[in-house]
Amino acid sequence: MPLRHRSLALSLAGLATASALLLAGCSADAGPSDTPATPVAGGTLTYATGFGEPTCLDPHVGGNMPQALVGTNVLESLFSQDETGAIVPWLAESGVAAEDGLSWDVTLRDGIAFTDGTPMDAAAVAANVAHMKDPETASSTAILALGKVSSVEVVSPTVARFVLSEPDSALLESLAQTWLAMESPAGLERGMGANCEAPIGTGPFVFSEWVKQDHVTLTRNDDWTSAPAGATHEGPAYLDTIEWRFIPDPATRFAALQSGEVDVIDEMQPDNVVAATADGSGLDVLTGALPGASIRLELNSGYAPFDDESVRKAFIAAADVNPGIQSLFFGTVERSYSVLSSSTPFGASFEDDYAIDADRANQLLDEAGWTSRDSEGYRTKDGERLTVDFPVSTNQSIPAEVSLFEQIQATTKAVGFDVELHPMDLSSWYAALGSWDFDLTSAIYTKNSPDVLRILYDSENIIPAPSGYHPNNAHVSIPELDDAVTAAGQTTDPDERAALYEKAQQLLADGAYVLPLYDHLQKIGYGDRVQGLSLLPTLQIPYFGDTWVSE
Amino acid sequence: MSLPPVSTVAAVAPADRRGRRMIGPAQWVAVAVLALLVVAAVAPAVLAPGDPFAIAPVDAFLSPRWGHPLGTDESGRDIYTRIVHGAGTSLVIGVAATAIGIVLALVLGLAAALGGRFVDFGVNRLLEVLFAFPGLLLALLVITVYGPGIVTSTIAVGLATAPGYARIIRAQARSVATSPYVEAAVVLGRSRGRILVRHILPNAVLPVFVLVTLGVGQAIVWAAALSYLGLGASPPAAEWGAMLYAGKNYLATAWWMTFFPGLAIVLAAAATTVLGRALQTRGAR
Repeated sequence: MPLRHRSLALSLAGLATASALLLAGCSADAGPSDTPATPVAGGTLTYATGFGEPTCLDPHVGGNMPQALVGTNVLESLFSQDETGAIVPWLAESGVAAEDGLSWDVTLRDGIAFTDGTPMDAAAVAANVAHMKDPETASSTAILALGKVSSVEVVSPTVARFVLSEPDSALLESLAQTWLAMESPAGLERGMGANCEAPIGTGPFVFSEWVKQDHVTLTRNDDWTSAPAGATHEGPAYLDTIEWRFIPDPATRFAALQSGEVDVIDEMQPDNVVAATADGSGLDVLTGALPGASIRLELNSGYAPFDDESVRKAFIAAADVNPGIQSLFFGTVERSYSVLSSSTPFGASFEDDYAIDADRANQLLDEAGWTSRDSEGYRTKDGERLTVDFPVSTNQSIPAEVSLFEQIQATTKAVGFDVELHPMDLSSWYAALGSWDFDLTSAIYTKNSPDVLRILYDSENIIPAPSGYHPNNAHVSIPELDDAVTAAGQTTDPDERAALYEKAQQLLADGAYVLPLYDHLQKIGYGDRVQGLSLLPTLQIPYFGDTWVSE
Repeated sequence: MSLPPVSTVAAVAPADRRGRRMIGPAQWVAVAVLALLVVAAVAPAVLAPGDPFAIAPVDAFLSPRWGHPLGTDESGRDIYTRIVHGAGTSLVIGVAATAIGIVLALVLGLAAALGGRFVDFGVNRLLEVLFAFPGLLLALLVITVYGPGIVTSTIAVGLATAPGYARIIRAQARSVATSPYVEAAVVLGRSRGRILVRHILPNAVLPVFVLVTLGVGQAIVWAAALSYLGLGASPPAAEWGAMLYAGKNYLATAWWMTFFPGLAIVLAAAATTVLGRALQTRGAR
């Protein structure tokens, strides 16, 4: 009998849900007539990320996309960017460079405090910079971005002076990134373990719980006063809580969005974007090109076989990707011939360097000495097969991308390359890259400035950062390129920067170090219950300070 | 009165249970499926002359139609061709994994049955520990240590199936060891090795071959599961589990990418199981 009661209760609950859904349907239908709806405070929003679960919530440590996505809700930066990429104030009011470019005075907004009560003053900025630059922090993104900063002096409680070793035209852009966000110095003093669990910021939410392998809970900061430029309202956020869940499988994530189990998802599959943007799906999609490098294949030029320029050129001439990009991505992305993302200034395209020509590829390989073929049709030289090891991070590359890599494998096989795909999890992938145990890889690098060219291709960055990661995966070592990106990073003259960055990109294209594929798109899907969601232009990260949910 | 030669007793006594049994339609279908699988494994080009790796991005995501009877996948590869060419991998993994499991089980099982009290105790405790892990978990452990790939996943599945077989072989060998014909052989002064090879081994192992037929089906499913998890065949291998994995991302838009590889796994596993059951009931008479 209890069983019977239970099922009765269940069906009643089902009935209630159904009628609630019906009511919701009605109000949604009535929506267009009485738009702009009034925001309602309260409620919980569930976010499901496919970027993976951070190992540490403090974005100073390491510094990757999963940390930035969740961290932006809690931690705020000194500066922000508007839609055009121009620097706008946030926790800082202004940043002014000295005549010689060797120091910047950053003036802070008065009266902002961290959620633990510590004032957000110049001493806090100095403590944060010291934390990011401390090798013990094991930062890779922040420490590289602050490479030219020697120290921060506290001029007054509201003025922090950044002392540089050489001029840095990208300093304010760097400071706008979540990986360089300001954290409570008292929080930092708790030590890495405690700070990784719940870093303390000035943002609209605070970290209140982290159940590993399941979710992070963010709760509203009622004293929040530091909304970024472009925010549509002042005062605390509308949402009570955000439940930040980890659903690595894209199909499951999309199904969870469709069923209403979650409200917002990221890293959508191209076919799901098409389905969600269709009329009557009850879903919507926000897209934005992530700044920094485009999605591209990097050819490890430090080791055989790609240490030979002819072999690299042959590979690029054989890797026909355009038909696959069209069919696999359903028209949601466009082929890029630039190493830089379309949302990053000074990108230069060299389409001719990426022309497909199998005859030329064969000729180049013949000339490079890969003349014989084995029984399976792969080229050999001195008994060695022309093998290209390609570790693929299944966290960073969506399935459509992995399929594209399989197509590259097939088209380059025709000229005799044996591309071996090794799908692996993020930590194995980092390990393979760290030990240079790869010939080809696709690594994302998000940075809101063309200075990303220096990070990725300056020969200095072949040496790993304290985290063990070396951003120069292509093992590019060209003195001319080093000079160009260094000079471009020091000057503020736009024409000069354009010329220098173009030269650097020309060198990369001519030397066949990189095969650009397309922009890395942020694809955020959300249900129609979610209102007021936008992307913060700096890193195209979803911003929940103005978001509310209609019940 | 002279006893019949012991060897004749050994060969005939337990095995001579020739129950004549009609083979039903299910068994015929199973035989047909297996025959097709064997042809596909030995000479896939006979059934599907195309190239299982030939990509054609313009033909991606085609539903089943003339020219592509089971549709195409996300790179425009023909799914029918890939399933046929994948049969070999699946069957080899299934048979090889089971063989590994049986050989290992023979060593463990016979050692336990005939090696004396202490060996029996040791082997039994080891088997109990292995039994505590679900088979697939044991396979995952092996793969975590030795890295993914077809060879490791075959060995992993083989290792994972061994404890079950070892128990059966141990029990069988113990009962055979106390049977009259073995006693007779001992009385006749045959050497231990000869008794083991001539009498115990065949009679302890023959019943296990029925289980093997059942086991091959299970091994195919497990190997597919490992590939599905990305731990078996690496892309672009036409392995059924890997195809299933690639297809599930497009489940809502291209059902044929998952349905047909899944059907192939079910058919292969069901066919070996049906035949295994038929052999089992026949043997039991």
